[in-house]
Amino acid sequence: MRTTARLLTGTALAVVSIGALAAPAAHAGNSEALEVYPSTATPGTIVTVNTLACGSRGHGIGDAQSLGAGDFQLRPSTHKQVVVGQFTVPQHARPGTYGISVACDNGKTARGDLVVKHKGPSGHVQTGVGGSVGPDTAQVTAGAAVLAAAAVGGTWLLRRRASGAQGR
Amino acid sequence: MSSRGKGWGTVAAACVGLWLVQNGSENVTPPVPSAAEAFAAGPNAHTEAAADPLPPSAPVRLRIPEIDVDTPMMRLGLGRNDTLDVPPAGDRNIAGWYKDGTTPGAKGTAIVAGHVDNAQGPAVFYALGALKKGNRIEVDRQDGRTAVFTVDAVEVYDNERFPDEKVYGEADRAELRVITCGGGFSEKTGYRGNVVAFGHLIGVR
Repeated sequence: MRTTARLLTGTALAVVSIGALAAPAAHAGNSEALEVYPSTATPGTIVTVNTLACGSRGHGIGDAQSLGAGDFQLRPSTHKQVVVGQFTVPQHARPGTYGISVACDNGKTARGDLVVKHKGPSGHVQTGVGGSVGPDTAQVTAGAAVLAAAAVGGTWLLRRRASGAQGR
Repeated sequence: MSSRGKGWGTVAAACVGLWLVQNGSENVTPPVPSAAEAFAAGPNAHTEAAADPLPPSAPVRLRIPEIDVDTPMMRLGLGRNDTLDVPPAGDRNIAGWYKDGTTPGAKGTAIVAGHVDNAQGPAVFYALGALKKGNRIEVDRQDGRTAVFTVDAVEVYDNERFPDEKVYGEADRAELRVITCGGGFSEKTGYRGNVVAFGHLIGVR
């Protein structure tokens, strides 16, 4: 049990250090949140990003090269302390998750994710109204015929019994 | 036979007749796939190796011999909220395919939909829920080839819990989905769900 725990801790540490090494030096530790809207988009959609990282009246350069949308400008927005930028998801962007990064003039950076999804069907289909749902008419007809036969037979039997009784 | 015997016979016949009428008056609904046909029941002996995908070509006809389906194919787009459009309800023998997606036989997930019934009665995919693993689905294509699929599973989903990714998601081989309504019927709200047949390409003719 303790060995497992130690192993797990070791693995976790290894993952963390690999992650730290893999992150570009400029982003290490001080990357701030980048809000991406919509966070899931189809090709052709205009995506808006904003961040507090650049400070009020700051500027920045956005990097959407991961999905082939190139660089874009971030400018101060009407909201205090937020810079805003936009880019369009290219038609050729494959479905997947892409990292969007921003480098501010003040040296800070911000990062966020965009999920590219291709337009396709979603949800259930409306392919029936219930016109096939109903009683089994053939069985009902057969049942009615059997009932009618039984009634005729029964009546005949009763009559014969009645006439037999009279004749005795 | 004695008179008494005939009397009992008449009573028995009346009972049978009553039962037939009563039982037949209950609503008959389209077949619902059994749990054994779901993915969860595990693969079955009919699972066959996937064939190499074909280049894209539009489907023109679809056949499912086991349930007597032989239908022309029309193009379907997306409707409101990105739901798949459906063929016109007036035609009881027509199915459609999602025209902006994968064509049946090509690499990816091809989507086919058709009605289980219309106001007049059963329609093209009425018996889809009776399909079994290993049954064949054949699609004639514009390029003259016929893509042959085997059924991997037949599942039924509640409308509110439709698994988009599982049904419409991408695939690394040539896959097919055939969708219709099912999963119980309520007079007030209509069909409660969808029946989906999953298949993959096993051959080309």
